[in-house]
Amino acid sequence: MNELLLMCTIAGRRAAISASHVQSVIEIEAITPIPGTPDFILGLTALRSQALTVIDCSLALGLGTPSQSEDRRAAVVEVDGHLYALLVDNAHDVGEATSDPVAVPGGFGENWQRASTGMVETDGGPTLLVEIHQLVSGPLQQAA
Amino acid sequence: MDELLADFVAETREMLEQSGSELVAWEADPSDKARIDTIFRFVHTVKGNCGFFDFPRLEKLSHAAEDALAECRAGRREPDSALVTAVLAIIDRISEMTDSIEAGEELGEDGDDDLIAALDQRSELEVQSDLEVVEEAEVASVPEDEKVSHKAPRQGVQRSIRLPVDLLDEVMKGVSDMVLARNDLARRLREAGEQPTIDGPFERLSAILADVRTSITRMRMQRLEHLFSSLPRLVRDLSNELGKQVMVDFEGGEVELDREMIEMVRDPLTHIIRNAIDHGIETPAARLKNNKREIGLLKFAARQSGNQISLVITDDGGGINLDKLCDKAIANGLYSKSEIDKMSDNQKQNLIFEPGLSTAEAVSSVSGRGVGMDVVRANIERVGGSIEVASKVGEGTSFHLQLPLTLSIIAALTVGSGDQRYALPRSYVEEIVFGSSSHVEFAQAGDRHLVTFREKRVPCLSLAEVLGCQDKSNLRWEDQTLVMVRLASEDVFALAVDRVFDHEDVVVKPIAPAIMNTRLYAGTTLLDDGRPMMLMDLPSIAQMRGMVGGVRTKATAIERESQERVTKAVPVMLFAGLDGRHRAVRLELVRRIETISSEAIDIEGERAQAVIDGEIFTLAGHDVGPLPDGRIRLLRLSDAENELVYAVREVLDAADVTEDVVPSEADTAIEGVTLIGGKPIPLLDGHAVFSKYRATRKVEQALTCRIPTHSEWAKTILEPLVAAAGYRIAAEDEEVEADLAIALAEEAESPLCSARQIIRLRPDPDDAGDDSIYRYDRDGLLAALKRIRTGRAA
Repeated sequence: MNELLLMCTIAGRRAAISASHVQSVIEIEAITPIPGTPDFILGLTALRSQALTVIDCSLALGLGTPSQSEDRRAAVVEVDGHLYALLVDNAHDVGEATSDPVAVPGGFGENWQRASTGMVETDGGPTLLVEIHQLVSGPLQQAA
Repeated sequence: MDELLADFVAETREMLEQSGSELVAWEADPSDKARIDTIFRFVHTVKGNCGFFDFPRLEKLSHAAEDALAECRAGRREPDSALVTAVLAIIDRISEMTDSIEAGEELGEDGDDDLIAALDQRSELEVQSDLEVVEEAEVASVPEDEKVSHKAPRQGVQRSIRLPVDLLDEVMKGVSDMVLARNDLARRLREAGEQPTIDGPFERLSAILADVRTSITRMRMQRLEHLFSSLPRLVRDLSNELGKQVMVDFEGGEVELDREMIEMVRDPLTHIIRNAIDHGIETPAARLKNNKREIGLLKFAARQSGNQISLVITDDGGGINLDKLCDKAIANGLYSKSEIDKMSDNQKQNLIFEPGLSTAEAVSSVSGRGVGMDVVRANIERVGGSIEVASKVGEGTSFHLQLPLTLSIIAALTVGSGDQRYALPRSYVEEIVFGSSSHVEFAQAGDRHLVTFREKRVPCLSLAEVLGCQDKSNLRWEDQTLVMVRLASEDVFALAVDRVFDHEDVVVKPIAPAIMNTRLYAGTTLLDDGRPMMLMDLPSIAQMRGMVGGVRTKATAIERESQERVTKAVPVMLFAGLDGRHRAVRLELVRRIETISSEAIDIEGERAQAVIDGEIFTLAGHDVGPLPDGRIRLLRLSDAENELVYAVREVLDAADVTEDVVPSEADTAIEGVTLIGGKPIPLLDGHAVFSKYRATRKVEQALTCRIPTHSEWAKTILEPLVAAAGYRIAAEDEEVEADLAIALAEEAESPLCSARQIIRLRPDPDDAGDDSIYRYDRDGLLAALKRIRTGRAA
């Protein structure tokens, strides 16, 4: 298994997003807030004349604390024809998984369990593989 | 053109092109089996396709060629050059016919017998002449020439290719993005300041992009025929089912509409047709009884006007039975009797768009279940269109649909709430009213805020509160701007926003499902500076806030006709007096602004006068400050009879006084003080000014009149009469608007210059019924002249 992964930090934990889904990593400048939306949707930002929906990954996982990010890095992904910017604590590098995703007995914790397809071994240690579809639909969708 | 037919034409032409080289090769060696097979396949396919369409000529031709070739393939006949020539002639004819079909021309009468006869082995008949054959062979071998030679005389034949729709969408999206990218670049260029070396090419790029965008938009367009083509079948099925006879008529099938839009109106249109056949058009027996043709007519007419398409669907049925409709509305508890009585016929007709109404006595399988027109209307309005109904009992009903050309670009009103901008679809916006204006009154019932506007109470929503940004308890309604929103259901509510910015055409993009779930937004768009802006979903907001339907609706159905704003605003002119203080004067008093040399002013003691164009005027306003040297500005004030001039230092602006004027006891020269732009401004009292500076100059009372200059009668007989009635005859070359013009009715459109009133004189005494006056009706003419004179002076 040598799928390329974007290594990032979400809510202080090592996480990874399948790099094939990621179009680019950007530093978000201005966010236009959208009143009335759930917390995890921070608003819209413009990238090359396109509007991206900015998702706070930490809040989207239902972890309660907003992402702590200095340079406001976000991974740009496209889900069902819509573009999203996934705001993470930090986006590191693109790396390879050295193992297939595996489940861990006892799970990864309730919130993580929902959005994760499993744990992979990487050069930097064990990393949770996060499913972007779960991120963009947020914690509320899961409850329903 | 029918899609199938277009495909047929395209396919035939493709094959023609492919077989071009085969034909030449075959001619070189008539016995070549492989060539024969290819050409056989071609004519066979054409013959097969013709079966689907009604092209007997084409079928006969291809059939004949197929037979001849089949003989050769079976070895029963030896292909020779005569056969080759004959087949080539047929293929050539097929190509010609294909062009005609595409151009929508009639194929004409039979003329192919000689061609078919030429195929016959035993026939001695030569195919036309050698010359013709040679030409045809050339045509076949040089396809490019064929296009030229055949295209030139036959206009309207367009080359077409088939493209997957996805690809078109992709390109369209790309161009939209390019436009946005251009806007972004434009903004950055503006920020960077003037750069002639870049600005020029950028302008060019912009122009090209605009052109490309127009072309791409056209690429997505589809002819309405597309939609129309499916309707006759629907009408036939429905009318059979309901035992009626209906004929369909289409007009304007060539009008083009965005492909998506066509799909959006398909269902509403189907519904209207169902209704028309079921409720509108009577049974043949009933029609005959009413002296109508037993076959009902359903007519579709489409027109393009600007970026709107208007589509009218008319039936010649029984019309909407208003009484029945009203009874039903009352029976269903939608309206009370008294409310119905107050309605105009038009309003009554529009009841059919109310949910839960249907005039069909019996519920048929087709319609009459009371779901329908309200949904139709909602769907049409959702795509930014509108629908109206007009009906005459016994004569028929017509529905007028207005549709925007495309879905993706909509007209929007941009408004501000907090420090954000939002877009509202303009089709819903009825009117914009300032909360501070005097004819708007706020009230509260329970927790519901109401605004009284045009004597109706309209519920108020605050955008900030809808968005959850602000608690409405500390909202100052008076500071807000109210956007009057009229929904598809005729419900009106006021949406309070902080500011209204502008009208803009915006490119709407879809939004992520998670945002859609809020039901507040319909899409997103980018501002020129590249920032995203949300497009509000007004119907959905109204729905969530209970602004739709219910008891309350009737009170808010403001008559659409009364569009003009009731306003107390008084227009004034702001100026700085000679002392530099700002004052205002009612704009009605100001006739014009003059600039004269200070030498033309003569002041001696109490008397102050100014000379303008050789006339002497009383001067006012000179006593508050020193006269400037050189040129001086004067306001020429008039009370309709007298004129005087008022000296000012500077004319500032025109403004509207919407606030009350607070009278001042101390200063009699002013009417009072009012607030303009938040500053107190004294308003000059016209009465005081004119009474104080006893105006001297009488306004020249003689009204001007133009008479036909080229008529001897007018000069010798009419002119003295008019002059005696107190009019000044305007000179022929006088540019200004005359008060009156007299025209001779026998001259259809006399080259009259501008005149405020026109009297027409007719040559014969019989009343033509067009308000003209007989030319020798002296009393009538004098009365008319007097009426106008006194009317003007009043």
